[in-house]
Amino acid sequence: MTSPSTNDVIDTVLGLDRFPDLLALREQRAKLRHLSQTSYQAALRPADPRNFSYALRAALAARMAALWKSQELSAHLRALLEREEEGPALASLTDPGKGTEAVDPRLQAILAHVDLVTLSPKEATRAHIEKLLAAGLDDRDIVTLAGLIAFVNYQVLVVAGLKMLRDN
Amino acid sequence: MSQAVHEFTVEALDWKPYVKPVDVETATPDQLDALKITPSNKKISDYVLVLANEPETLKERTPLFNDIMYSEGGLSRGGREIGALAASFVNRCIYCASVHAARYIQLEKRPEVVDEIYGSGLNANLPEFEQALFNFGVDLTAHPDNVGAYQFYHLREIGLDDLQILDLIHAVAIFGWANRLMHTLGEPHRLD
Repeated sequence: MTSPSTNDVIDTVLGLDRFPDLLALREQRAKLRHLSQTSYQAALRPADPRNFSYALRAALAARMAALWKSQELSAHLRALLEREEEGPALASLTDPGKGTEAVDPRLQAILAHVDLVTLSPKEATRAHIEKLLAAGLDDRDIVTLAGLIAFVNYQVLVVAGLKMLRDN
Repeated sequence: MSQAVHEFTVEALDWKPYVKPVDVETATPDQLDALKITPSNKKISDYVLVLANEPETLKERTPLFNDIMYSEGGLSRGGREIGALAASFVNRCIYCASVHAARYIQLEKRPEVVDEIYGSGLNANLPEFEQALFNFGVDLTAHPDNVGAYQFYHLREIGLDDLQILDLIHAVAIFGWANRLMHTLGEPHRLD
């Protein structure tokens, strides 16, 4: 069994077991800390993954963390991907520097949306949703994808902020 | 057909989705369960009904959002709204900004702070306390990979303790989440 602190993804990626003051600080907001973890579960490992497999979710999430140079989080998400059977096949998606010509049109559209909404959400318009529909995503797929992108970006910001507190 | 709004405004707005909201009449038990725990208004908004397409996520998100924005102690409610506004300005979530500008004014009775943010955007020149909160929200939203000692000492300089800084981080981060839903899954319209 792992200790309670290692069950929390944010504590784990920031190595907070060595920073008891910061663990105690997070404990003052225990409810939101818990809901951040259950939200991670819902985004990355939902009971019904439907058209977004656990492997694809982990790969896309690792890519978003890499886009923001959130190294610790990206490494955690890549490790999550490696534990999936599909992991090796999707590993290249985690690197935003690699071209996406080789992947199918549906996945290409998904990757383009991931990159846009992660780095430049202000640029997003109705036309971007229409591209996803044209690539074969349905309404629920689009909400799934938006929810995954939105959650991982939240987690990137929380990790960045806590890292600032940890190191100063 | 009402007009879509593409510029920041403090007026109350409507929001129209690009994708289908869940129909309450045909919703699944999981969707109904997730919808139940949203703040009980007379009418469930289209925004929440769109998110109900993914009930498992919505069910966690609603209480998380509420705890981040409304929990007791720590950073003031108004301070959290400044964090929300800063994120929404960077991400150009016009709807989010209008809601949280109104909420800030209601809480703090200081419309001049909102006026300055709306007039000057990311270059807003604010009183020292609000300026530090706003700048942190802009920096964390725009460059999460570049937040460190500089931002930290500015927050300390205005007297924030660790819990208040933690609350500000979460308020900004939850709008990194909310903006990416509201601004990408639909658009604001003038009220009919």
